[in-house]
Amino acid sequence: MSKKIDLSIDFLGVHCENPFFLSSSPVCHNYEMIAKCFDIGWGGVFYKTVGILGMNECSPRFDIVRKEGTPFVGFKNMEQISEHTWQENAEIIKKLKHDYPTKVMGVSIMGANDEEWALLAREMTKAGADMLELNFSCPQMTSHAMGSDVGMNPELVERYTRVVKQNTHLPVIAKMTPNITHIEDPSKGALRGGADAVSTINTIKSICNIDIENLTGKPVVNGKSSISGYSGAAVKPIALRFIAQLKQDPELANLPVSGIGGIETWQDAVEFLLLGAENLQVTTSVMQYGYRIVEDMKDGLANFMEAHGYTSLRDFIGKALPNVIPCENLDRSFQIIPKIDLDKCVGCGRCAISCFDGGHQAIDFDTKTRKPTITDKCVGCHLCLNVCPVFDCITPGEIKFKKGCEPHDVKRQHCYYA
Amino acid sequence: MTKVRQLPYGEPAEKGLNVRLVMEEASRCLLCEDAPCSHDCPAGTDPGRFIRSIRFRNFTGACKTIRHNNILGASCAEICPQERLCEKACSRCGIDKPIQIGKLQAFAMEQERLLGLKILEAAPSCGKKVACIGAGPSGLAVAAELAKLGVSVTVYDENEKAGGMLRYGITPSRLSDEIIDQDIKAVESLGVKFELSRRIDKNELDKLVAQYDAVYVGVGLSASKMIPNLKGTDLKGVETALAFLKRARIAGGKIEDLGRVVIIGGGDVAMDCASTAKQCGAKSVYVAFIETLETMPASKRELDYIVDLGVPVIPAFKPVQLNGEDHVTSVELAAMEGNSKITLDADTVIFAVGQKVQDDYKGMTSDGKIFVGGDLANGGKTVVEAVASGKDIAGEIAKFLHI
Repeated sequence: MSKKIDLSIDFLGVHCENPFFLSSSPVCHNYEMIAKCFDIGWGGVFYKTVGILGMNECSPRFDIVRKEGTPFVGFKNMEQISEHTWQENAEIIKKLKHDYPTKVMGVSIMGANDEEWALLAREMTKAGADMLELNFSCPQMTSHAMGSDVGMNPELVERYTRVVKQNTHLPVIAKMTPNITHIEDPSKGALRGGADAVSTINTIKSICNIDIENLTGKPVVNGKSSISGYSGAAVKPIALRFIAQLKQDPELANLPVSGIGGIETWQDAVEFLLLGAENLQVTTSVMQYGYRIVEDMKDGLANFMEAHGYTSLRDFIGKALPNVIPCENLDRSFQIIPKIDLDKCVGCGRCAISCFDGGHQAIDFDTKTRKPTITDKCVGCHLCLNVCPVFDCITPGEIKFKKGCEPHDVKRQHCYYA
Repeated sequence: MTKVRQLPYGEPAEKGLNVRLVMEEASRCLLCEDAPCSHDCPAGTDPGRFIRSIRFRNFTGACKTIRHNNILGASCAEICPQERLCEKACSRCGIDKPIQIGKLQAFAMEQERLLGLKILEAAPSCGKKVACIGAGPSGLAVAAELAKLGVSVTVYDENEKAGGMLRYGITPSRLSDEIIDQDIKAVESLGVKFELSRRIDKNELDKLVAQYDAVYVGVGLSASKMIPNLKGTDLKGVETALAFLKRARIAGGKIEDLGRVVIIGGGDVAMDCASTAKQCGAKSVYVAFIETLETMPASKRELDYIVDLGVPVIPAFKPVQLNGEDHVTSVELAAMEGNSKITLDADTVIFAVGQKVQDDYKGMTSDGKIFVGGDLANGGKTVVEAVASGKDIAGEIAKFLHI
């Protein structure tokens, strides 16, 4: 681990030794788990959502999306909030805060009405929480007065946020659902209610797989299943999109964001930070690989910062935002024509198949020599380059300017295969 | 750690892939345009097509492709020398290593077994009758192809069970009865009838020619060669490879008193004799052959297999004489180059120096209603080439019968 690099960041006025937090979920619901994650090096946690009563959970409760040999492309869970009562959780939080005073104890809470939100806010503040996260986004609650049903309603978000703010002096983060067209609307509700930040995304409502023999979704709970939250690597693109939209909204631009959604490597972390997230939350990859993944996330992040000469996370937080622009503003004056390294080509013909069936019929495949040639029909879509199974065989080549377009410098994608 | 592999007789030499590993392997496949692997299967099994079916989880479809193209798809998956056929042609060789095509084929065929799929069915009769002599690979292929055209086919074989060399010339650790039976069942599902334990000699052949519209002679090379003028081959304890493999298969590997075994020969059959002798509890097993390790006819896979089992090999030595009064007691070997000599104590000496046609069929060629193919015609090649030959001959017979 690079010694020179400081990964700490003050998030909502709370000093965090690094930006990596466990998100409120099955990975942090008791003392032993959180003590272990702190020992391994996580900066903090958002303690699994505390409600008034413990939950009654189903079995089994998880499912995965697998692509060929890769498990956990996406992950579905049907767990709700903490299985303990708020009193039991308050004890655990108190002990953790006592034993790990430098670690950050975010506590996620969820009530069903004003009184419950107020009580939970007061009691978790008293227990020693450093910040409160309001769970407006769990998509699998057995009560419709709770979870993502609330998060889709900007008025309710505003109201409960205000109630919490009136009952705590701590920073308050509203956790937003992606199960909505415009995440900006409830986020503005949170802002009006006094939220200090939002975190997103919570899980996406999903049915991962159908058991085609039992005629129901998976996991199968005594012959039945339910729609519930989807997470993991597959949702990262959706999370990044929501975060970019929040940060690019003029009213919300200054509202800090804690980023969540498929973070597994330091590169994922950098991507969230570049879009403006100031704090990072992780669950699915921890469920798959364990708390230890934070070691390579921290080290990788430090190595990245060192290589780029950054000394603080704030040096690059939000740096990619100005370059995410509306489609209509893209430079459409040129085509980057791919080039094929025929020495590397193994002659599988996949580029030609995809170019014909999904592109512009711009690759001739010689059936005798089994070698492809790119023709004048190429529009520079780069489908071939993405389907080619050989490392570094098809790469971006010549830049062709369209008729009537003035040649100029064109910035290309960096490190295509990284 | 032990350096020698313990493998009981009949236990599979190689482990199959489970569905998860199969999906990983299938996703390594480049799914080539006009797949080179498919071009390089002599029998036209079309691996490019069935691997694509596996990749998109259409396992039944994969079985259909294999079965329709290669009636011995289950057996070929196990024993085909893929490394010099389809896998050698695999485009993925240009990246790292070829797709394990045999393993994927074995998985598909396992699905056929597990799911009890019935892929082939008898066609409506075309009114023609054909006899196949020999229930080995080429005979089975001829029978299946003709049956698909509605020909009523009867297969005659001198052995108790169908399969020919599949059954009696290969050790069950490499090809089990279960898998051979699966292929035979597929032939039967087309309505082919079998007359087993029925040896057809010259005389009977004439009767069959009179009785049937055409006769296919696919008796293969079922007689064993011997080294001519070698002293001592008439001693007790000396036997041929095919006789040995057959009695081991029938006895389920329970052959006692093999004692110290010396195998003469450097082909796949010799390797099978070596593993079989080892698995049957021989006190010691040596394999000696005249070729070098480089030029020996056995595939690397088979050589590696017996070396794993702890069988020492002696390349570039030829037997000069067998000693003993009534029963063999030793074999004398001389180096092909130089003057080195070895005498190996032996209670059993097995000759695996090639096969030949049975006398009844010597020199037979296609003529009139008689069609000759398989090893008998091509001099002895692989199972997949026998299937290919069978498919070709079936086409010729169909043409002859105007179907």
